[in-house]
Amino acid sequence: MQKSRNKDKEVNRYPKFAVVGHPNKGKSSIVSSLALDDSVQIGDTPGTTQVKRGFPLKVDGKIVYELFDTPGFQRARRVLSWLKSQEPVSADRRGELIRAFIEEHRDNEKFHDEIELLEPIANGAGIIYVVDASKPYGPEYEVEMEILRWTGQPSMAILNLIGEEDYREQWKRALGHYFRLVRTFNPVRATFEDHMSLLESMAQLKEEWTKPIKVAIGVLNELHQQKVEQSVDAIVQTMKKSLGYVYTKPIPAQGISPQEESKAKQRYQAQIVTYERDLEEQIELIWNHRSIEKVENLLVFEDIGLFSKESASIFGLGQRELIITAASAGAMGGLGLDLMLGGGSLFLGSIIGGAVGGVGAMVGFDNLYEVKILGQKVGKRELTIGPMQNLNFPYILLGRALYHASVIAKRSHALRDEVKWEDEAQYTEQILDAKTRRGLEKLHARLRRGEEPTPEEIKAYRAIVLESFERLLSH
Amino acid sequence: MQNKSLKLSLKSYLNFADLLGSYRGDHESNRTFALKHDDLPPSAVDRLLLWAHEHRFKVTSSPEIDLFLHRFSMATSFLVFFSLFMGVLVGIGLLSYSGDAPVNVIYFFAMTLILPLLSMLLSLISMISRGEMANFITHLFPLYWLERLIEHLPDQAQGIIDRLPASVSKWIFLERLQRFSLFFSIGILLALMGMVVVKDIAFGWSSTLNITAEEFHALLSFIAMPWESWIPSAVPSLELVELSHYFRLGEKLESEMIQNADKLGAWWKFLAMSTLVYAVILRFIFWMVVRFNYQKALEKSLLVLEGVSQLLREFDKPFVSTNAPSQEKHLDIVEETEAQVTEEAGHYHDVILGWNFSPDEIRLANDTTKIIAPMIHTVGGSHTFEEDEEIASGVSRHVLLYVKSWEPPTMDFVDFLEILIENPKVETIEIYPLGTAGRYYESEPREVAVWKRKIQGLNTTKVWVIDAKEQK
Repeated sequence: MQKSRNKDKEVNRYPKFAVVGHPNKGKSSIVSSLALDDSVQIGDTPGTTQVKRGFPLKVDGKIVYELFDTPGFQRARRVLSWLKSQEPVSADRRGELIRAFIEEHRDNEKFHDEIELLEPIANGAGIIYVVDASKPYGPEYEVEMEILRWTGQPSMAILNLIGEEDYREQWKRALGHYFRLVRTFNPVRATFEDHMSLLESMAQLKEEWTKPIKVAIGVLNELHQQKVEQSVDAIVQTMKKSLGYVYTKPIPAQGISPQEESKAKQRYQAQIVTYERDLEEQIELIWNHRSIEKVENLLVFEDIGLFSKESASIFGLGQRELIITAASAGAMGGLGLDLMLGGGSLFLGSIIGGAVGGVGAMVGFDNLYEVKILGQKVGKRELTIGPMQNLNFPYILLGRALYHASVIAKRSHALRDEVKWEDEAQYTEQILDAKTRRGLEKLHARLRRGEEPTPEEIKAYRAIVLESFERLLSH
Repeated sequence: MQNKSLKLSLKSYLNFADLLGSYRGDHESNRTFALKHDDLPPSAVDRLLLWAHEHRFKVTSSPEIDLFLHRFSMATSFLVFFSLFMGVLVGIGLLSYSGDAPVNVIYFFAMTLILPLLSMLLSLISMISRGEMANFITHLFPLYWLERLIEHLPDQAQGIIDRLPASVSKWIFLERLQRFSLFFSIGILLALMGMVVVKDIAFGWSSTLNITAEEFHALLSFIAMPWESWIPSAVPSLELVELSHYFRLGEKLESEMIQNADKLGAWWKFLAMSTLVYAVILRFIFWMVVRFNYQKALEKSLLVLEGVSQLLREFDKPFVSTNAPSQEKHLDIVEETEAQVTEEAGHYHDVILGWNFSPDEIRLANDTTKIIAPMIHTVGGSHTFEEDEEIASGVSRHVLLYVKSWEPPTMDFVDFLEILIENPKVETIEIYPLGTAGRYYESEPREVAVWKRKIQGLNTTKVWVIDAKEQK
C-alpha cells in the first residue's frame, strides 16, 4: 500500500500540462510543435483529437514533464450547469466537484470529451488554454474558462493566431480575468527560441515546476545542438561519398560503345542523386519530421560536364605506378651488381637496370593485360567516371544539403502542408561566400584527385560546414 | 569482466564494420546499452567492441569474412614455415664448406646483417611515410607481388581486401613482412647452430675491395659493440681477422690458414651473435613496434568508420524523447458533398436565431445580409441549455440560424439543433455561417466546409447550410 502511494507520488512529481480549449483552436498544433512530433493528427474537422494523449519529455526514460493533447469542449454549458447544481462548496473544494463529475459521468458517452480533457487536470496538470486570437472573443468561452477556474489548477492562456486578423487585445482583456499568464504562440511559425520562451512561461505557473522546466529547457537546448551536430555529420559524410564516388565498368575486348558510355554516366548521376536522397531522409529523421510531404527538387546535372576515362592496371598498378616500380626494381638489381664490383662500374648497373625496368614496363604495359596467371588475367581495363571534376559542383551539392537541412530544422512540427523549395542557389551564395569556399576547397581538391582526406582535413571541413549551417539557422 | 576478453583484431574489425553496415541501433537502444553497463570501458574502441559483441547476433556472420580470414591465416602460417625453411636452407647453403675454400663470412653478413638492416630501413621509411611513397616502397618487396598474385586467385574474398583502409593494409603488410623475416633469420640461426655442431667449418673473409685486416677488424668491433662487454669471446680478435683473410689466388690459404685451422672456427660465436642481435632481436623489436602501430592503425580506422562517431555520441548523450508512447487512432475525415447546401438564403424567415451572437450582432448581420424576420432570439453563449431548449421548442416554420463560421459546431450546438429538428412545427432550418464583422461577415470556404460536413452527418433533409460564397 505504502509502496503504491510512493509510486503515485513519484508519478505526480513531474509537471504536467493539459492543453485544452474550444475545438479547432490549434491545441494539437501547439502540442505537435512543443513535442517536436509531426505524427499528431491536425485538421479542420472538429473532434480530430478524440482521446487525450500524453507527450512526455523523457531523458533516459525519466519523465521531466508531460504535455497532454485533449479533445475540445463539446458540452461545456452542461458541465457547468451540473457543477452549479451541486451543493454549494467553498472555493478550496471545487476541485473535488470536478473529480466527482468525472467519476459520475465516466461511462456517459455525452461527456466523453469533457472527461478526457478534465481528467489530467484533476490529476494535477497545469492548464494551457488555447484560443484563436485571429477571431473575435465571444462570451461563450466564459463557460469553459469558468469550468477551468473550478479545477483550481495553475493556468495560462495561449493566443494562437491561426488567421490573418488580430483580436489579441480583446482576448487579453477577457482572459486576464481567468488566467495568470497570457502568451502569444503561433505553433506554425514558432522558432526554437519561441518554444523555449513558452516553456519559461510554463515554469512560472507553479513554484515546484520551475526547476524541472528549467531542466527541460536545458535538455531541449542540448537536444537541438545534438541535432545540429548530427545533421552536419551526415552532410559531411555525404559530401565525402558523393565527391569521391567513382563509377567503374569493365571494358570488354571489343571496346565500349557511346551508348554504353552514356548509360554509365547516367548510373553515376543516379548514384549521386541516391546519396542526396538518403541524406535528406537522414536529416528529416534527425529532426523528427517523419511524415513530411515535399515537392521533388531533383539535382540537375545539365551544365556539369561529366568525363569518363579509360584506365588500365596490372596487378592493381596503373601504368605510371608500374613504370616507377619496375624502374626502381631494375635500379636496385643494378645496384647489387655495382656493389659487387665495388663501385668500379660507376653505378652504370643501377642506371641501366632502372632504364631497362622502366622502358620494359612502359612498352610491355599494353601487352600484359591478356597474360593469365592461374586462369586469371593479371590486367584490368575499366571505364571510370568520377571523382567529380567540376569545380562548382561541390558547392551546388553542399548548398542544397545545407538549404534542405535548414528548412527541415526550422520547420515547425505543427505544419502539415507540402514543403516548397525556394531557389536555393541564391540562398547558397550568401552562405557559401568566397571565404567559406576557400576553406572548403582543400577537401574538395583532395577528393577530386581521388585521395582519402585525413581526419584533420575532415575536422576542419566539418567546422566550416557547422558554422555555415548555424548561420543558416539564424537566418 | 566479459569486456576484458574483447580485443581489436582484424577479425573483430571486419565483423564490426560488417555489423555497422547493416545495424546501428538507434539512440534509445544505444543509450540503454551504455546505461546498462555500469562498467563501460573508458576507451572508445573497447566500448564499440562490447557493443558489437552484444549485437553480434543481429547479422549472420559473413562467409566472405570467414573465408578471407581463413585464407589469410593459412597463408600467413604457410609463409611463416616457408620462411623458416628458407632460412634454414639459405643458412646451410651459406655455410657449405667444401674443404677447398673457407666459408666467407661476408656472404653470411650480407644475409644476416646487410639484408635485414636494409629491409628494416625500407620498412621504417614505409612506416613513417604516407600515401604514394609508402605504396612505392611496398612494391619493392617480393612479398607484395606474392600477395597480389594470391589476390588474383579465382574465388577469393577480394571484396574484403577492398574494404580494408589503405592505412591498415600497409600495416598488415609490414607486420607480416617482419614476421616472415624474423622466421627467416631464425632459420639461418638454426642452420648456423646445427652446422657448427655437425661440421667443422673453417671461416674466412675475402673481398675484391682493398680492405686491410685492421679496417675489417674495426668494422667487426663496431658491429659487436652490443655484446662485447658481456660475451667478449664473441668478438673476433685482430689476430683472427688477419689469420682468416684469404685471397683467391694467394698462397696464404695453404700455409697460415691450414696451420691455424682450429682458430678459424672461432668465428661462429661472432656470426651467431650478430645474427641473433641484428637479424633476430632487432627484427623482433621491429616486429613489436609494427604490431603496436598496426593495432593503432586498426583502432584509428575503426573510429573513422561511418556511423562510429554517431554510435559513440549516442552512448554518451542522454536519450531525449518527446513523442507520445502510443500511436494516435486517426480520424477518418468524411468527404464533403453538396447535399443539403443552398447557395442563397431567403430574404424572409419566420425566426432568426443567433448561436453565440448578441442581439446587436444579429441586427448588424441582418443589415448586411438583408434578411428580415419577425422573431429574433439569441441562443448558446451565456444562456443556459434549458433556456435554449425552450426557444427551440417554441419556434415554427422557417428558421434561420446564424452561426459563427470560424467556431466549429460543438455537440452543445448539435443537441440544440436536434431539438429544433424534432420540433414538428419547424419546416426548414437554414444554417448561415457568418464570418467576422471585420470581414463583413464573409466566411472562409474551409470554415463553411466544416459546417457542411457536420450537417451532412446528421442525415436530415430539414437542415440546410447556406454557402453564400457559392452564391457569388
